[in-house]
Amino acid sequence: MTEPTSSEIKNRFTLRTFILLLIPIILLVGVISLFLQTGGGLNLESPAPLETLTIERYQLERGLIKLNVQNTGPTTLTVASVIISDAVMPFEVSPSAEIARLGKAVIKVDYAWTTGEAYNVRVFTSNAIPFDLAIPVAFVTPQPEAKTFWSFTLIGLYVGVIPIFLGIFWLPALRTLGKKWMTFLMAITTGLLIYLGLDTLNEALEQAANLPATYQGIGLIGIGAVATYLLLEMIDNPDSTNRSEAALRLSIAWRIALGIGIHNLGEGLAIGAAYNVGEIALGTFLVVGFIIQNITEGLGIIAPIVRDRPTFGQLALLGLVGGAPAIFGAWIGGYTPSPFLSVLFLAIGTGAIFQVAVEIWKMIQRDNKREPMPAPIFSGVLTGMLLLWVTGIFIK
Amino acid sequence: MTNKFSRRDFLKLGGAGLVTAAGATAVLTQANASTEGGAKKHFIQPHQQMDHGGDGLPGVGEVDIKKNGFDPTEILYDFDYGKVSTLPSGQTLREYEIVVINKNIEVVPGIEFPAWTYNGRIPGPTLRATEGDRIRITMKNGSNHPHSMHFHGFHPAEMDGVPGTGPGGMVEPGQEFVYEFDAEPFGLHLYHCHVFPLARHIAKGLYGTLIIDPKEGRPPVDQEMVMVMHGIDIDFDDVNDFYAVNGIPFYYQNHPIQIKVGEKIRIYLVNILEFDFVNSFHLHATFFNYYPTGTSLTPSEFTDTIIQGQAQRGILEFTYKFPGMYMFHAHVTEFAELGWNGMFEVLP
Repeated sequence: MTEPTSSEIKNRFTLRTFILLLIPIILLVGVISLFLQTGGGLNLESPAPLETLTIERYQLERGLIKLNVQNTGPTTLTVASVIISDAVMPFEVSPSAEIARLGKAVIKVDYAWTTGEAYNVRVFTSNAIPFDLAIPVAFVTPQPEAKTFWSFTLIGLYVGVIPIFLGIFWLPALRTLGKKWMTFLMAITTGLLIYLGLDTLNEALEQAANLPATYQGIGLIGIGAVATYLLLEMIDNPDSTNRSEAALRLSIAWRIALGIGIHNLGEGLAIGAAYNVGEIALGTFLVVGFIIQNITEGLGIIAPIVRDRPTFGQLALLGLVGGAPAIFGAWIGGYTPSPFLSVLFLAIGTGAIFQVAVEIWKMIQRDNKREPMPAPIFSGVLTGMLLLWVTGIFIK
Repeated sequence: MTNKFSRRDFLKLGGAGLVTAAGATAVLTQANASTEGGAKKHFIQPHQQMDHGGDGLPGVGEVDIKKNGFDPTEILYDFDYGKVSTLPSGQTLREYEIVVINKNIEVVPGIEFPAWTYNGRIPGPTLRATEGDRIRITMKNGSNHPHSMHFHGFHPAEMDGVPGTGPGGMVEPGQEFVYEFDAEPFGLHLYHCHVFPLARHIAKGLYGTLIIDPKEGRPPVDQEMVMVMHGIDIDFDDVNDFYAVNGIPFYYQNHPIQIKVGEKIRIYLVNILEFDFVNSFHLHATFFNYYPTGTSLTPSEFTDTIIQGQAQRGILEFTYKFPGMYMFHAHVTEFAELGWNGMFEVLP
């Protein structure tokens, strides 16, 4: 038998290829089973039990504390004792005090808590490993009902929808600007997006720190952000279509709206969840701060289409795509806060925002090929970033 | 759970909040409240709405007494007078044998404490002798760490049970040592391991009571009990997680101690609590005579609450006038809710 040439090897997927591919896997199975049987000469017995119990959230009802927990450690564990602010309390666990790996359970404790006070909760497993939770301010956890539903909707309106529409109202004024100013405006948008992208990424990283190790939060951010970035690149590659420049600009506006929308969804999630644990008290000053900061997001959305003639309906939809997710975020965060989903959404937001930032950057460069304008671009990008930084002072 | 929020850290600035408002006008009202009332408003308001509810009382279920090998109710009345004989000099000799063993003890349901024990129980046996007796204790170390017995009382240095004082200061695993001394002074004393790290060796369970009765005895009573107050640091962070009397948190809350109206009760109370500065004993619905360290037959105080620092001890004598259920507990109430709570069931 003669050796196949290299091109033959490349082009054919034969049974032989299949078997060759399989060999390392068969060997791997052998090595693993050998290791499992012999321990490979290593003593890997842990001197202490490794247990991790994640207290995902708590819910307070009158005279009742409910803890939603998940076993995020490597082995099954048993909840053995619950201590609330230095008192050992009887408790119930449903479905069972024995929680399998990645299993979830609800711990219920009859406890006469008082509104406005703080409590510490400590859960001991049967191996005497403690897990702590702080309840900073006790109050009845909002349940999905008309009143709280409307409250969360209001939050989303104030934080997302209203400011963005206010920003969109700049459109007529911006129409009157000359080319140099347009470039400046686009550069501002790039700056805004870079800042928002960083902020979203930062928030994703912070949330990831709260995730149980099993979920590998940082990796999740990478997957969410990279996948979103590449996906947007793929579905909207200007070279692959014959669309006009105007259509491209509108498409960019849509993507900015989408990116900002996901960013605002993440914000809504955080606000809803924070409201749920009593960390939040929205004062007027702060709402004003929100409106000031997020009005720039509306500006960013319309920047690419200032020279075009978008319809009223298009503008309304753009605003909704950018702002309304804050409402959904507040609902989700308020009723079923999930750190996993938060990280994922924030990662998607990061990818989406950076993708449009790059896209706009390309657009600026295309528009200014003939007569470069470094000064407006530099000052625009910086202005965009500074705008968010300075208005951020109001809400930090 | 504290870090849900980052860019929008507009927290903790007070005001009952937009969120509770049902509409735009309400938002404005709340806004005024927040600027004028400041942060406190938020915390004061809700009190009118709701309080209480929830009838849960601190406590736990039952531990496996059989598997633990000792019953705190029996420990109350368990006085070990030793193997008694008379020396040629006419002096009474009391011989005891104590084995140090490692033992897992279920202290609250589902959680075992990897304890170090004298004779497999917490506290160790209550040794009892009369002033002037000869005490001879053979301590065998059946554990895998060096241990000792250090007695409070009069004795020569080599019987002090402290490392550096000879073979009795640190008895190696598998070895034994005989501690021998005369029982004096009369009073309520204790013994514990004195090997370093000391706090750990004590907190793990190596302690017990030594009662030396005066020659003429104490006035007769109807019931005598021993109570050793201690803590349980279940996760070894040098902070007690549970508190108890005689080994098991909440035991006498679940199993009230039965006495009768008019009965004279004497409690030998010892505090061997590690990691906290003081412990206390409070008796409901009656007062007691208190004899600090039991070294006098005249009470120092007539009270219902006493404080003991570590290794302090004293004798309590009391009687109940009325039948019923009465609590006794640490009036360091945090300890009470973490296990140091019990009940007397006073029968008519």
